[in-house]
Amino acid sequence: MLVRLVRLGAPLARRDDLPKRLRNEAVVVLGQRKLLQRLVPGLMHAAIFWGFLVLFPTILLALVHAADREPGLPDGSVLGWLDRQGWFAFLVDLFACLVLAGVATAFAIRKVQRPRRFEGSHLREADLILALIAGIVTTLLAWHASQIALGLNAWPAAWSPVSDALSGVFGDGTATEALERALVWAHVLIILSFLVYLPYSKHLHIVTAAVNVFFGRTRARGRLEPLRFDLPEEELRFGAGTAAELTWKEILDTLSCTECGRCQDVCPAYATGKELSPKLLIMGLRDHVRAEGPKLLADPAAATAPLVPGAVSDEVVWDCVTCGACVHECPVSIEHVDHIVDLRRHLVMVESRFPVEADPMLRDVERAGNPWGKPQAERAAWAEGLGLRVLEPGDPAPEVLYWVGCAGSFDERARVSARATARLLLAAGLEVAILGPRESCTGDPARRMGNEYVFQSLAERNVATLDAAGATKIVTSCPHCFNTLANEYPDFGGRYEVVHHTELLAELVREGRLRPRPGAQAITYHDSCYLARHNDVLAAPRELVGAVGRPLEMARSGRRTFCCGAGGAHMWLEERGSAINEERVREAAATGAETLAVACPFCTMMLDDGVKQSGRELRVADVSTLLAEALERP
Amino acid sequence: MTVLALVERGPEGPDELSLQALAFARSLAPGEPLHALAPVRGGEGTELAATLGEHGVSTVHLAEHEAFAAHAPVALARAVVELVERLAPAAVVAAGSERGNEVLAHVGALLDLPLATNCLEAALGEPMRLTRLRWGGSLLEEASLHGSPKLLTVAPHAVPAEAAPAAGPAVERFTPSLTDADLVVRVVERVQAAAGGISLADAKVVVSAGRGAGSAEGFAVIEELAALLGGAVGCSRAVTMAGWRPHTDQVGQTGTKIAPDVYIACGISGATQHLAGCKGAKTLLAINTDPDAPILASADYAVIGDLHEVVPAISAEIRKARGR
Repeated sequence: MLVRLVRLGAPLARRDDLPKRLRNEAVVVLGQRKLLQRLVPGLMHAAIFWGFLVLFPTILLALVHAADREPGLPDGSVLGWLDRQGWFAFLVDLFACLVLAGVATAFAIRKVQRPRRFEGSHLREADLILALIAGIVTTLLAWHASQIALGLNAWPAAWSPVSDALSGVFGDGTATEALERALVWAHVLIILSFLVYLPYSKHLHIVTAAVNVFFGRTRARGRLEPLRFDLPEEELRFGAGTAAELTWKEILDTLSCTECGRCQDVCPAYATGKELSPKLLIMGLRDHVRAEGPKLLADPAAATAPLVPGAVSDEVVWDCVTCGACVHECPVSIEHVDHIVDLRRHLVMVESRFPVEADPMLRDVERAGNPWGKPQAERAAWAEGLGLRVLEPGDPAPEVLYWVGCAGSFDERARVSARATARLLLAAGLEVAILGPRESCTGDPARRMGNEYVFQSLAERNVATLDAAGATKIVTSCPHCFNTLANEYPDFGGRYEVVHHTELLAELVREGRLRPRPGAQAITYHDSCYLARHNDVLAAPRELVGAVGRPLEMARSGRRTFCCGAGGAHMWLEERGSAINEERVREAAATGAETLAVACPFCTMMLDDGVKQSGRELRVADVSTLLAEALERP
Repeated sequence: MTVLALVERGPEGPDELSLQALAFARSLAPGEPLHALAPVRGGEGTELAATLGEHGVSTVHLAEHEAFAAHAPVALARAVVELVERLAPAAVVAAGSERGNEVLAHVGALLDLPLATNCLEAALGEPMRLTRLRWGGSLLEEASLHGSPKLLTVAPHAVPAEAAPAAGPAVERFTPSLTDADLVVRVVERVQAAAGGISLADAKVVVSAGRGAGSAEGFAVIEELAALLGGAVGCSRAVTMAGWRPHTDQVGQTGTKIAPDVYIACGISGATQHLAGCKGAKTLLAINTDPDAPILASADYAVIGDLHEVVPAISAEIRKARGR
């Protein structure tokens, strides 16, 4: 039934790159790496998970023993052999205790600490499951103890100190004999009822999670799966409007969620009181798939309720900033952003239903080639007087092509950093040029809004322009352009070496081609989601900050950074509830830094606005601006 | 092959968009009888019927009910459904206005039929092939429409309203059978938008303030100047975010786009998203304490100073010049 539900989903290629998938399985599932991002809950889960891996043979042994008190397993059988091993008995005792400790910790977290991440989860279901786990392990220990009391143990009793100690409670009379039967049966029955309950509960993740991790994305986390518009009409898919239009991975995602709420805990929308919780999004889709899926299994052409507003509301779909914090945090590799974008694609391309204020942006991106409707002819105006070459058609290809992006080209605050970057690259003696009026929006905001049409037409046009210009190495100062050029344009035939300006500048400093003078100012660096989390660029901007000032880290940094509020086209959407940028500015100010360094023009605008709104004294500046100043310092 | 068109009434006679819809309906089945449905109060509508005759309508059906004194979408949809059952038309056409779309959406729900809104072109057939205007005019969609009758609305100003006299239209009056449930959606009250004020989008003069206003109360001087100039008050996104003014006052790419003769931007730094909303202004006067504010690059005139001093001074000068 569950396999058939998943197979309902639309196709998606996730079978490539087997070595990386096996590695993920080892690190994320066996190694519990994502869970261990949070120490106590991580150790709690690891104790239970590793515990049950070790205890698995004892379940089989219990099944055999339930039928026969002394089954006399043949010498050659693995189970029989294992049953006699002292070291295994020791491991069983040890891990049984660890599982109990894990369950106790889990109860303590849920009942005493009560973190906000559990808001909206099925709490009683979790209590029942924890009680069942405790029951399984307690009956196991008690059963082993009764076996020792009766001398039925195949293993040397001294190797299992806990069971041995407990055996003192039992006598060796007929009462204990009956008790031994009762305990093994209680143990087996709890396990069986657990297995019966499992498919209907959120605890299903013990089956689905390992599969979902295996099929999780293996590279380019910032890349969205392109829609294919060249397919025959029956196979065309414009995002997801109904359960049948979700991809199989999206359906598997919903069945893997165990409602732990780590995603909710890191979500900037949830943190600022928006309706979106990534956890409730996935739970809503899961309930919807479970309700509507069987209808589709009975009749593939059956009409089913729409996902929006059937499973989640319109607000939820538009609240997301696509920062990917939820995806990064999820221990079972659920890819929430893909769900959001697929829902948006349907709403935008099929229903024309989206926040009205985004309409001018979408139209301007399509018609004017930039999201503010500025004349493209003025695209190179920011570079006047810098001596930067503007590539004309037919010109020889430059060593490095500087892809400025719309913000750097048109926005006054972003232009400051574009000018600094250009001056630095020229000062280092690089042969660099820009496309000027021939550069246009990469299509990122349209794509994140769900308008795949507009994105793909811009992608094809830009790839043609870049190819014609002979571009091989591209530097860009916008992480959104960076992500699109590096991760998404290869799907449209554009393959270039793409670097972010902080990477190139750090390299030039390392090579001694730029020599900044160290400064004393305290700088805290804000990681852009599309740079750090989606593309692993962490070290280069920090190298530069370290070279020009005294670095201070915020609590949420690196891959676990907190969005500025502009991602997912939110630069062009009105924000409801309290402001994400102000939340981030509070965190930055708390470090005591005088300067908030950024490496993204949209972070620059959002955080600078946040500083002004909160009336704080904090300078927001791009790393390139700080580097240029450090070069000019006496 | 009959076509039924729904006609809405304007202040005088049939509404302009409805006449366009009639022209569109005629083009669907040239030479065939064209029926029109118009909602009226009992006994009314004789003149209306005559006007419709001048636009090629062969039979005018006047649905009579007291509820039709005002907009009553569900009741009107019931009347359409009644007539559809009687006439079995090949298509039902209405204007792609808010009301036309609303009524035909109800008809679609009652008959369990699809509705194609905002059509530019259509050709009768099975299925009907049509071209629709999407995305506020930036996208043309080729679509096919199934079901019978075909329900469609006509994109405003897609075809001109043209007179096409028919020989004295037949007029048939009928009273649709309505239940109370059909009258639940009705007009309760009419409130004129922007009562006493000038709408931001149409104003010749707009006086805006940004974070520099300091507070909601800080807008008093802005309102005073706007009133003296007969203009509208606007604001920047920061002001809306702070809750000082409603979003309807916001000038910018995600608010209202304006194109006044004079735009006075006070205490607005000039974020790109704001400038994208006022680039249509013929003359831009910026008042700002920061000589490096980005808005100064776009301004025709600038005053470097605090709006709380500069704006009252301007108002005082205007009063003086007018001799008060």
